[in-house]
Amino acid sequence: MRLVLEADPAPELTRTLLAIEKSAQRHFNGSLTDSVIGYATLTLFFKPLQFQRDRVEAWLLEQVDLTKSDTHYDPSAAVILPVLYHPSVAPDLEWLADEKGLSIDDVIALHSETTYFAYATGFAPGFCYLGTLPHQLVTPRLATPRNKVPAGSVAIADLQTAVYPCESPGGWRLIGQCPQPLFDLNNTPANLLSVGDTVRFEPMSEADFYAMGGAR
Amino acid sequence: MSALKIGQAGIATSVQDSGRAGTLQLGIPPSGAMDPYALVSGQYQLGHTHDEAALEMAYADLIATSTHDCHIVITGAPVTLTIDDQGVDPRTIHAINAGQTLRIRATTMGIYSYLHISGGIATEPVFQSRSTSPREVLGGLEGRYLRDGDTLPIGPTQSAPVRDDPLLELSPPGSTLTLRFVPGFQHDDFSPTAISALLETEFSVTPSANRMGVKLSGGDLHSGIESLLSEATCYGAIQVPPDGAPIVLLNDRQTVGGYPKPGAVISSDCARLAQARPGQKIRFVSRSAAEADRIQWLERHYVETRLQ
Repeated sequence: MRLVLEADPAPELTRTLLAIEKSAQRHFNGSLTDSVIGYATLTLFFKPLQFQRDRVEAWLLEQVDLTKSDTHYDPSAAVILPVLYHPSVAPDLEWLADEKGLSIDDVIALHSETTYFAYATGFAPGFCYLGTLPHQLVTPRLATPRNKVPAGSVAIADLQTAVYPCESPGGWRLIGQCPQPLFDLNNTPANLLSVGDTVRFEPMSEADFYAMGGAR
Repeated sequence: MSALKIGQAGIATSVQDSGRAGTLQLGIPPSGAMDPYALVSGQYQLGHTHDEAALEMAYADLIATSTHDCHIVITGAPVTLTIDDQGVDPRTIHAINAGQTLRIRATTMGIYSYLHISGGIATEPVFQSRSTSPREVLGGLEGRYLRDGDTLPIGPTQSAPVRDDPLLELSPPGSTLTLRFVPGFQHDDFSPTAISALLETEFSVTPSANRMGVKLSGGDLHSGIESLLSEATCYGAIQVPPDGAPIVLLNDRQTVGGYPKPGAVISSDCARLAQARPGQKIRFVSRSAAEADRIQWLERHYVETRLQ
């Protein structure tokens, strides 16, 4: 069952979806198996045959009205992700600076002085869609995705930025490397970032990068 | 501990049970047996009631030796079976002695076959499931497909085999496999031309078919939808990328996606699609959500009467 809110993505919208998700987890405890927040959607997955479509639909619509007025949101502290912005680990960094008529330092400043909001998770374990990228850096995906993007790659595409938590194919532009793991089964929760978090990137030196185990 | 030694793994053999729940928001797909009915049939036949894991073999070509006495049964796509080089009936339960070697080979029908061993494959569960998710490197044996020389732990036998279950044999697909789908909320955003192409085209399964999904050729479903914000995907979602050729998403799908979807194939037909080889002709027919529920009730009854 999917709830679609007809609005542009914004932290407020995501917080509304988070609040509805929380209520749904309480209300449908036992029959709800998964819930996934997208940029403007909340998708609820139920155990087979353990829900009645019309009732869930009515309940969801009711929540939209109830939750809109919810302003009790306590913003958590931003998660800081250290990043080495250096052409040796970021194949698109020089290209991006040239393309945008900026210096590499300008690109680093623009990317790292923005506070981002976590709109959605998925694609791969630990992958988190962060927005909104400063307009000076907005650039489309590669026409042909790379077969292998290294784990830890800090990437941008359209209005979004993200860190690839593990090696995977990918079409985003790579502008840095983050040595901080984003997904570890030994942690609870296993993922470092969740929907609704705020995130900042912090430039680090090559020495610190390699000291943190960033050799990828 | 009892074990199964893999002499020859074959091209895509992995440990699978019915898959995991509750991990979609972490970006981890459910995984699990591509043909859940074949999985359930084998569990039923061996008296397994705790979702014991089996070996899923795509285009089976397996050689394996058991270190202990056990019962086995093979379900799903039909195979040939030899035990110590003796050809035997592959569609019934067999008692295997310690040290005996099984050789399992695919025939010309279907893709996924399942080797069930009494006690089940006892690799460490991850998020309450032993299913392998190869892309995420999770579950099963080291999160990967098996290789020659691997050894799999086998759980203690707690039950006697029940009986053969010939009802669950894979029936040969007719010339065309019909997939029933429920229209989704983007259905009406597709152009009328695209929707009639979906309903009227005879598609073919392409070689781009794996545990993530099955790509079809033959029709152009250009949506006319400019862009879509990433949102959750579901089992059976008919995803239409810019090239207009639909992909039906299956067990190892990415948990979110930004391609438009006119609807989702009902789960029982997903299992049949998973078993369809490249070249299989496919048609889509639209069904209401209520009708899909009715079909699922029937299936549920079918499965539950086997696992009580």
